[in-house]
Amino acid sequence: MLFNEVYSRYFKTVSLIIEKAQQGLLDDKSLFELVQKEAFSESVLELLPAIKSQDWLILDEALKTPLRHRPQMPLTLLEKRWLKSICNDPRVALFDLDTTDLKDVEPLFSLEDLYYYDRYEDGDDYQDATYQKHFRLLLAAIQEKRLVHISHCTRHRRVNTGVHGAALLEYSGKDDKFRLKTSRNIFINVARIIDCELLGPNPEAFTVHKESTKTVEFTLVDKRKALQRVMLHFSDLRKQTKRLGEDRYQCKLWYSPLDEIEIVIRILSFGPMIQVIGPQHFIALIQERLRKQRECLKESCEM
Amino acid sequence: MAYSELIKSFKAIRMYMRQFFVYGFKSREELADKSLRSYDNEKRRVESWLGDYMRFRQQRGGKSVFLSLDSRALCYNPFYHAYKAASFTKNDISLYFLLMDLLQDKRSYTLPQLLTRLDSDYLAFFLDPQPFNEATLRGKLKEYTELGILKSIKEGKSYRYQLFEDHLDLSSWKTAIAYFSEAAPLGVVGSYLLERYKKKEKQVFSFKHRYLLFALDEIILYELLTAIRDQVTVQLSILRADNRPYKNVVVPLMIYTSTQSGRQYLAGRNEHALHASFFRLDNIVEVKRLGKSRHYQKYSEEFAQQRTRIWGVSMGQGSLEKLSMELKVKPYESYIVERLEREKRCGTLEQLTKSNWLFTCEVYDTMELVPWLRTFIGRIVSLKCDNPQVLERFYADLKAMQEMYEVEADAVQ
Repeated sequence: MLFNEVYSRYFKTVSLIIEKAQQGLLDDKSLFELVQKEAFSESVLELLPAIKSQDWLILDEALKTPLRHRPQMPLTLLEKRWLKSICNDPRVALFDLDTTDLKDVEPLFSLEDLYYYDRYEDGDDYQDATYQKHFRLLLAAIQEKRLVHISHCTRHRRVNTGVHGAALLEYSGKDDKFRLKTSRNIFINVARIIDCELLGPNPEAFTVHKESTKTVEFTLVDKRKALQRVMLHFSDLRKQTKRLGEDRYQCKLWYSPLDEIEIVIRILSFGPMIQVIGPQHFIALIQERLRKQRECLKESCEM
Repeated sequence: MAYSELIKSFKAIRMYMRQFFVYGFKSREELADKSLRSYDNEKRRVESWLGDYMRFRQQRGGKSVFLSLDSRALCYNPFYHAYKAASFTKNDISLYFLLMDLLQDKRSYTLPQLLTRLDSDYLAFFLDPQPFNEATLRGKLKEYTELGILKSIKEGKSYRYQLFEDHLDLSSWKTAIAYFSEAAPLGVVGSYLLERYKKKEKQVFSFKHRYLLFALDEIILYELLTAIRDQVTVQLSILRADNRPYKNVVVPLMIYTSTQSGRQYLAGRNEHALHASFFRLDNIVEVKRLGKSRHYQKYSEEFAQQRTRIWGVSMGQGSLEKLSMELKVKPYESYIVERLEREKRCGTLEQLTKSNWLFTCEVYDTMELVPWLRTFIGRIVSLKCDNPQVLERFYADLKAMQEMYEVEADAVQ
């Protein structure tokens, strides 16, 4: 049972309400605030009256509870089985986990029953001890807000060394790779790190900078299920679509400037189903590829 | 019935959230599946759960609602909120908390003992409460035993119930769960686990190329993965493009997930078919378990052989087709060769000259390669394929693009 009330926000909120009542800290104001903070935006309209009317046998009219123990929400078998499944995932080696209490639990699913058919083949080696060491060190740097000294091999096979504020570890399911995002929006592939060392606290200067974004706009004609394909394909990005006519649509995508070539390639994969209408420099990138293609085919014909 | 932000079934809301997120331009009238009132209720629910991401736009044909989400900027999938809105009765919630409290003494109780204790220890506290009846309590005890919260011990003809004792300490798991809830199948379960921590995890991870909408198909995915594990035949109810459902009985074999197209498929074999077929998970509305399959082993072995020659999710007509593409790559453009290496799947790569590379493959449906071939526009020296339609499609599309972008078209093919 994946969809069950025991996992609901309401149950969680009620457990916090009971706890507060047991501590003698619950009044109308704190009850309202708790529901507003923990549940959904309209929950005060349903949850509060149900509790206060004693429809749910949790609190009396004086907001006292007959429950004696701190509310427990025991783990379900589903949750334990999911944990067991991720224990079989090679990426689990990156985390320091105590899995002994799961030894008799059946996994919820087997990784052998799932296949990521278009995932790139040069994903990170999660079994590599050096990789694991670097990953854990970067994790600590992010959690403890500390600086890291990193030597890494660049795409052009040069070694770069520097001190960075570790902001996030970014995972790509397509690349099956982790990259460190620094506070200055530099990305370093974890697998390319040669050496790294944890330094002192991250000063103010290394607080995370907001990443800039670029946009591209295109029109599409809904032929060969193009609308559905395009909308699903680009649903990992922020996008906005409007209808222009019977089967014509206009879409705007937001992307990181660092990913521009990737976006060009993704748009090219749809061929004439979509037409970029701006900005001009993006159109020029597509035109350049089309011109080069014309040259390639001309040359091969002349040979 | 009065409006409630909680839901009994995930079916309708799944469709609305998909529409608001994936398309986001359809009007109220277009989307109202049964009635405008249902649309208003579902929209109000989505707004209650995901209000921060909901946007409105006035356009020709009426106001449209859309969910504006940048998956890279989010550490948690907001669609998981919908799974935390399951409805319940007043008995469900009262019994859950009262039983969990009563059973914390680690003793075991029979059903009549529980009824007596609930009455004396808890109901007496409230003004004029309605006592729980035996059937309701029995139903909840059965459900909690199935959920693994309670343990039932048979004693003669009756059962005793006690809390399932658990020693699993989740304190070391928080960071791993935060990651896997976003990067592993059935991540919603990880999201349930994260709710158990008092303090929220500091954002440590972000995710690129992540398809948030897969979260909407997790009930279907769970049912299919369970069916694969149990080797049972299932009856799928699948929505056609015109929204009319049809049924197909298959033996589920494997889940195929795309990391690039926002689609997930079930590979399954119908008894009357010669090979496996692929069914999109977002089109499956219901999975009905039938009996244990007698053919699972045979189908599974055949599929294991065949899948080495499937480029994506199609077996075409069931016969193999060859395709080759020669590319121009300058010696300093090693990143293109690296790209080919990591994206070639079952194909092979060969260096012909200092600057010419040959990609070849033999797969069931070469038409599936066309979008990928287009990503090499600017480098393709020659393209050969057993299936002439592939070449026709590629060159016709190329010509159309050249005209579209006002690049002088080529007569070459």
